[in-house]
Amino acid sequence: MSDARQQILDRIRRATSGGSVTEHPDLPRNYIRHGSLDKSGRLNLMVERLQEYDADVVECAPDDLPACMADRLHSSGKNRFVVPPGLPAEWLASGFDWKLDRGLTHAEIEACDGVVTASFAGVADSGTIVLHHSASEGRRVLTLLPDWHLCILRTSQIVETLPEYFDLCPLPPTLATYISGPSATADIEMTRIKGVHGPRFLHVILVRDDA
Amino acid sequence: MRASLFITCYNDTLFPETGRAVVRLLERLGIALEFNPGQTCCGQMHANTGFRAEAFSQAKRFVRLYQDAEAIVIPSTSCVAMIRDQYPGLFAEPGNDALRKEFVALLPRVYELSEFLIDRLGVDDVGAYFPHRVTYHASCHGLRGLHVGDRPFRLLAKVRGLELVALENIDRCCGFGGTFSIKNAEVSSAMLSDKLHDVLSTQAEYCTALDNSCLMHLGGALHREFAATRTLHLAQILASTQTDPAEGIA
Amino acid sequence: MMQVDLDPRTALPFPQAALPILRNTQLRKNVAHATDVIQAKRARLVAEKTDWQALRNAAAAIKDDVLGHLDRYLVEFEARCTAAGGHVHWASDAAEARSIIVEILRTEKATEAIKIKTMTSAEIQLNPALEAAGIKAVETDLAELILQLGEDEPSHIVAPALHVNRSQVREIFARRMGRTDLTDDPQALTAAARSYLRRKFLSVDTAICGANFMVAETGAVTIVESEGNGRMCLTLPRTLIALAGIEKLVPIFRDLEVMLQVLARSATGERMNPYTSLWTGVTPGDGPQNFHVVLLDNGRSSILARHTERQTLRCIRCAACQNTCPVYRQTGGHAYGSVYGGPIGAILTPQLMHMDHAQSLPYASSLCAACYEVCPVKINIPEVLIELRAQVVDRERKQAARAFDLMYIGMRVANSIFASAWRFRLAQRLGRIGLRLFTKKDGWIHALPSLGARWTMTRDLRGLPDQTFRDWWASRPKDRV
Repeated sequence: MSDARQQILDRIRRATSGGSVTEHPDLPRNYIRHGSLDKSGRLNLMVERLQEYDADVVECAPDDLPACMADRLHSSGKNRFVVPPGLPAEWLASGFDWKLDRGLTHAEIEACDGVVTASFAGVADSGTIVLHHSASEGRRVLTLLPDWHLCILRTSQIVETLPEYFDLCPLPPTLATYISGPSATADIEMTRIKGVHGPRFLHVILVRDDA
Repeated sequence: MRASLFITCYNDTLFPETGRAVVRLLERLGIALEFNPGQTCCGQMHANTGFRAEAFSQAKRFVRLYQDAEAIVIPSTSCVAMIRDQYPGLFAEPGNDALRKEFVALLPRVYELSEFLIDRLGVDDVGAYFPHRVTYHASCHGLRGLHVGDRPFRLLAKVRGLELVALENIDRCCGFGGTFSIKNAEVSSAMLSDKLHDVLSTQAEYCTALDNSCLMHLGGALHREFAATRTLHLAQILASTQTDPAEGIA
Repeated sequence: MMQVDLDPRTALPFPQAALPILRNTQLRKNVAHATDVIQAKRARLVAEKTDWQALRNAAAAIKDDVLGHLDRYLVEFEARCTAAGGHVHWASDAAEARSIIVEILRTEKATEAIKIKTMTSAEIQLNPALEAAGIKAVETDLAELILQLGEDEPSHIVAPALHVNRSQVREIFARRMGRTDLTDDPQALTAAARSYLRRKFLSVDTAICGANFMVAETGAVTIVESEGNGRMCLTLPRTLIALAGIEKLVPIFRDLEVMLQVLARSATGERMNPYTSLWTGVTPGDGPQNFHVVLLDNGRSSILARHTERQTLRCIRCAACQNTCPVYRQTGGHAYGSVYGGPIGAILTPQLMHMDHAQSLPYASSLCAACYEVCPVKINIPEVLIELRAQVVDRERKQAARAFDLMYIGMRVANSIFASAWRFRLAQRLGRIGLRLFTKKDGWIHALPSLGARWTMTRDLRGLPDQTFRDWWASRPKDRV
């Protein structure tokens, strides 16, 4: 309703005396903007944080990735996996029922046992995995409906602090999901219960691509 | 050195022994104390209840009264917090330039008692003797308003014979809050109930603080319950010596 | 369950509303336990964050920048969001917001709407309006679901059902979900909610959410959550409506590096909450293809105009103030008669009502300042409380009835006494004589009449000493150095 829009903006302008500046002023940014850990320290911290929230974590060299993935998939005891269309073909180990997401319905995704994706970055301080939902990370629904998620994260994309993740973004993402734990609630008597909605099982493979 | 004592309206009327203790203590430390008889109230009660015009007139009176004092010592963190935190706002209206200037000149000379001892006199050992088990309650204005920090602890640590027991939940409000204790008497009492539990758990004989406002509230309930703990202002502990013990203590 | 009124226009004043709640020992235990847990978690994480004060300073500055240039940032957000395929609506007040949302849902022929917890929708009383329009609102946040099924009201901004214990939840689920097989184990109860809600997520085509942060620079909206019901509502339906107060902006994407760090630690005592979602308008093939944002004023622009009170709008709804407040600890949120309770509620609610209602709330505080200490955006809540008290008094003073109000009479008399030393001394003498009537042999007063009874109901008062300090001073020998 443009009437309301104009009225609201007028009220705001009167309240702030109409002053506007054209650029973002100098804000006090004295907080930590760079980590102090070295590469291995960062990696260890990431692993520690992921394990704190019960994600299963393994590391491997780039050449060993397909084999490492196959191993994870086999030990899951699951069979049908949904994958984003941009996932490298060599990651799709044989012996499994791969569903490529080229516009699958929610019901079809729901019928899958798990999902496999790449990721954009990791933030070690909070154990956060960042998805920007590119072709190899997939639509948001893919990492939401299945109960089991295998996520590939390159160690070269792990930063220590949250501000350093923002340094990594060439442009702000249009879509992003930040995962820092399994779904959880403490709504009943402050008792933390995990696995409410969203995948209850997260497996992470850290690919040491910056050794 | 000279110092002027602002006793506070409620200490003057309800807790004169705290005032006498401050006098004894500071004179023992060689301070030439003055007492301006024109003093009444800093305006806190009115300011905090929303009676701003009245608070302004009391604040103005305070500033005028103490313009020439070398140092003003106040045994109450809430009154000092009022002067530091709220006087600027009260004097902010245009037309109060002269008053604002006087206030700005006065402000550095205003001290809460523990600040005066530690910061101005540079002493933590005041030669006190108080052989009792004591717990200390951190009044909110002192804790968060003035940031008295460890000053009271440093002073208590040097009191000979005193056994200090830590109070659980020391930084949780006792529930007095000025007129809050009347307007919201039930909630105030509920908060008091929790605080009493913490105080009694220390099994201290005395509960002390920098503010008689909190102590009036705590002490009133302790007395009502025939509890084996009493309240007294830190000044009374610090004034107490072997030859001249605190008033009312056997 | 007790009838709880969270409409500030009709709710009881705080002291009266608190009374029955203070007698509800179970609620008090639940609230104390919950707030202790979150406080401890928060304290631990804040202690480990060596740049915590710098983050607070930055967060406050970011919000002040937003508020100082709110029109510009809102217009920028609107342009970007629209360019990305979203529809932006503006609502001056609650009624307009409700009407816009109902209209969108009617156009979509929606009969149900899944909802993510948003206090703003409770503020505008959205659910009853939806019901009236034949649209069933389904709360998907576990706490909100418990409250909805239990016909109860939120008592905390982040953990709205913290006053409810497990056996109460079991009883609600048995009665309203038909799940009579459940134990009161939180795990089992949560699992029951999970399967109940999953059916809804996969079948309902419209969702309503709030917004933690809207990014002006990009038109993105950010939602922070723990359970995953948010992601479900934000991803699966075709139509999504985000309702947000106009102040819920940040200028640039980068500012999230500050806001996300302070919000998670303050709200739930975590370094980062489990799921944060960010989306911009519409992305073809991914998520809702019909996206609307409803920007809500509802009194915020009035708060913006006031110098001391403007800081109220920095609030990011973390509820750290509620968790630390010693008053809230005794009563929980229901005593505040508003969806916003605790310290932030005490300043926000009366202001949203243009000071016409909820006038007891600014007095529902002992001014201990614990809230200010923990606020991630440094709102000086005590300062605002005192300012609002002055406004309440300035209004009330003009009313004829105040001539007979003991508190007003007392304050005026006290002021006149404090205006002169001789009047003060006289009042001290008269007070001592007057109170002698009530002073027992032990030198203490155990019962007083009238306003004094509010003190003596739980506390004794020592009788006034025979000699005031100033009289003692005056009686000292004059030759002392």
